Amino acid sequence: MTRPLIEARDISKRFGALQALADVDLDIREGEVLALVGDNGAGKSTLVKILSGAHAPSGGDLVMDGKPVEFASPQDSAAAGIATIFQELALSENLSIAENVFLGRELTQRVLGIPFLRHKAMKRRVGELLKELDAHISDPEVPVGSLSGGQRQAVAISRALNLNARLVIMDEPTAALAVAETRKVLQLIRNLADSGRAVILVSHNMHDVFEVGDRIAVFRRGRKIADKMRTETTPEEIVSFITGAHPDVRALEMQS
Amino acid sequence: MTELKSYTLAILASLWVVVVAGLAILQPSALDVSTVTTILQFSTILGLVSLGQGVVILCGGAGIDLSVGGIASLTSVVAMQAAEAGMPLPLLPVICIVVGAGLGTFNGLLVTRLGLLPLIATLGTFYVYSGAAVATTGGAVLSGVPSYFIVWGRGVVSGLPLPFLTLTLPLFLLTAILLRFTAWGRWIYALGFNERSARLVGIPVDRVRLIAYGASGAFAGSAALVGLAWLGSARPNIGQNLELTSLTAALLGGIGIMGGRGGVIGILAAVLLLVTLQTGLLQLNVNSIWQVGIIGALLIIVLLADNLRFIRRST
Repeated sequence: MTRPLIEARDISKRFGALQALADVDLDIREGEVLALVGDNGAGKSTLVKILSGAHAPSGGDLVMDGKPVEFASPQDSAAAGIATIFQELALSENLSIAENVFLGRELTQRVLGIPFLRHKAMKRRVGELLKELDAHISDPEVPVGSLSGGQRQAVAISRALNLNARLVIMDEPTAALAVAETRKVLQLIRNLADSGRAVILVSHNMHDVFEVGDRIAVFRRGRKIADKMRTETTPEEIVSFITGAHPDVRALEMQS
Repeated sequence: MTELKSYTLAILASLWVVVVAGLAILQPSALDVSTVTTILQFSTILGLVSLGQGVVILCGGAGIDLSVGGIASLTSVVAMQAAEAGMPLPLLPVICIVVGAGLGTFNGLLVTRLGLLPLIATLGTFYVYSGAAVATTGGAVLSGVPSYFIVWGRGVVSGLPLPFLTLTLPLFLLTAILLRFTAWGRWIYALGFNERSARLVGIPVDRVRLIAYGASGAFAGSAALVGLAWLGSARPNIGQNLELTSLTAALLGGIGIMGGRGGVIGILAAVLLLVTLQTGLLQLNVNSIWQVGIIGALLIIVLLADNLRFIRRST
C-alpha cells in the first residue's frame, strides 16, 4: 500500500482539564473518502481543527508526505494543501460564483499598483472547475445567494479545488440539504476522491457515510475506537461502536 | 448587484425628471443654465462627503460616519490656522486632505482597534471635531484664502463648476472603478456583506475598514478645501448638517445600510436629486421646514420601493 498523504501519530488535545483527544493514530490516504463518525464531543471536530490549523495539538505528530509538519494557523494548513469546508461555508451571497471561488486570492493584473480583476480568466477557470465537478451550474456569474444548498457546496468545493487542495475536509456537508441535493453532494465527494484527492467527511448520517465513505473511523470520548473499511463492516456495527454497545468498546472502557 | 444599481438609478432618474418637470410648470423662469451651475455647486461638497459616507457604510460592521461634517469644519479651520501660522499657501490642498484623512483614521482606529460601535464612535468624534472647530475660532470666520484658489473654487466652464468637474466627478468615477474592477472592491463587498466569511478566506477586514474611515475623512477634507476656495474663507460651521444629509444621499442612492450592497454612482445621482429638489423648493419659496420634511418622505418612499421589490422577488 502506498504511503498515506497524512499520518497522525499519538495526537492529543487537552482543553484545561478536558481531554478532547487522546493518542489518536490516523492515516489519511489520497483517493480515499475517510468518514469520521462519533457522538457530539467525541473528538472528530477537534481532530479536524488540528488538521486545518485552527488548534495546535497538545501532543503527537502530524506527518505529511513522510515529513513532520506543524500548522500554526489556518493559513499554514491551507498552504500545505488542506482545504476545510466548514458548515457555514464561508461564501459571500452577494458575490458571484466566480468571485467567491477566487475571493481573497483573485487573479489580477496590476496597473499602477492597483489590482485590476482578470474577469475572463477567473470566469473560465471556474467554468472548468464546475465542469470537472460535474456540478450542473452553467453560469459562473450567478450570485451565490440565488443557489441551492447543494450548489453552494459545489461552489465551496470548487474553491478548495482552486487552491489545489490535496486534502478536502468537509464538516457535515449534507446536514441542511434535501434528499436530491444530498445525493448530488455525495456524488461531488466521490468525484473528489476519484480525482486522486484525499477527502475527510465528518458526518452523523450513517446512510451518507456508507454511501460514499471508503473507510470509517469511529471516535468516542476522545479516542479512535474503530477504523474499518466500509466493505468490512455494517451500519449496525458502526452504530454500536458510537453508542458504546459494542463488546470491544465495553472491554476497552472497563480497562480505563 | 448590477441589476440593483440600475434599478436604483432608474428610480432616481425618474424622480429627478418629476422634480424638474414640476419646477418647469410652477416656475418656468427657474429653468436656466445658472440653476444648473448652482445645483452642481451645492452638489460638490455634499457629493464628496456622501461618497465617503457611502464607502464606510458599504464596508459593513454597522459602519457609519456621523463625523463627516465635523471633519469638514475642523479641517477648514485647521488649514487656515496653519496658513496664518506661516504655512505656504499653495500647501492648502495638501493639509486639507492630510488633516481630513487623519481625523477619519482616528475614527477608524476607534472602530477597528477599540471595537467601539461606529454609531457611537463617530457620534463622539462629531461632537469633538465640530466643537473644536468652533472653540478654536470662537465661531469667527477665518479669511485669507489666496485668490488663485478662489478662481478655481468659483470657476465655471460651460455652466459646470470647476470643483465639481475636477474633484467630485473624478473621485466618484475613480471610486466606482475601484469598487467594480479591482480585487479591493470585491473584498469590500464581501466583508460588508458577510464579515465572518471574509475573515475565513483571509481578507484583512480591519485594515480595509480602517482605510475606509480614513478615505471618508480625506473626502470630507477635500470638501473642506472646496468650501475654502468657494467661500474664500474658513467657516467653523461649513460642515453643519452634512452628516445626516450625506447619510440620506447614501441610502437614497441605494447603499444598503447593512453593508455590501449598492454602488457609488447611485450616491451621485441621489446627491443631484436632493440638491435639485432643495433648489427647486427654494425657488418656489417653500418654507425650509417643509423642505426637510419632503426630503425625509422621499427617503422613505424610495427605500420602500426598493423593499417591495425584494419582497416580490423572494415570494
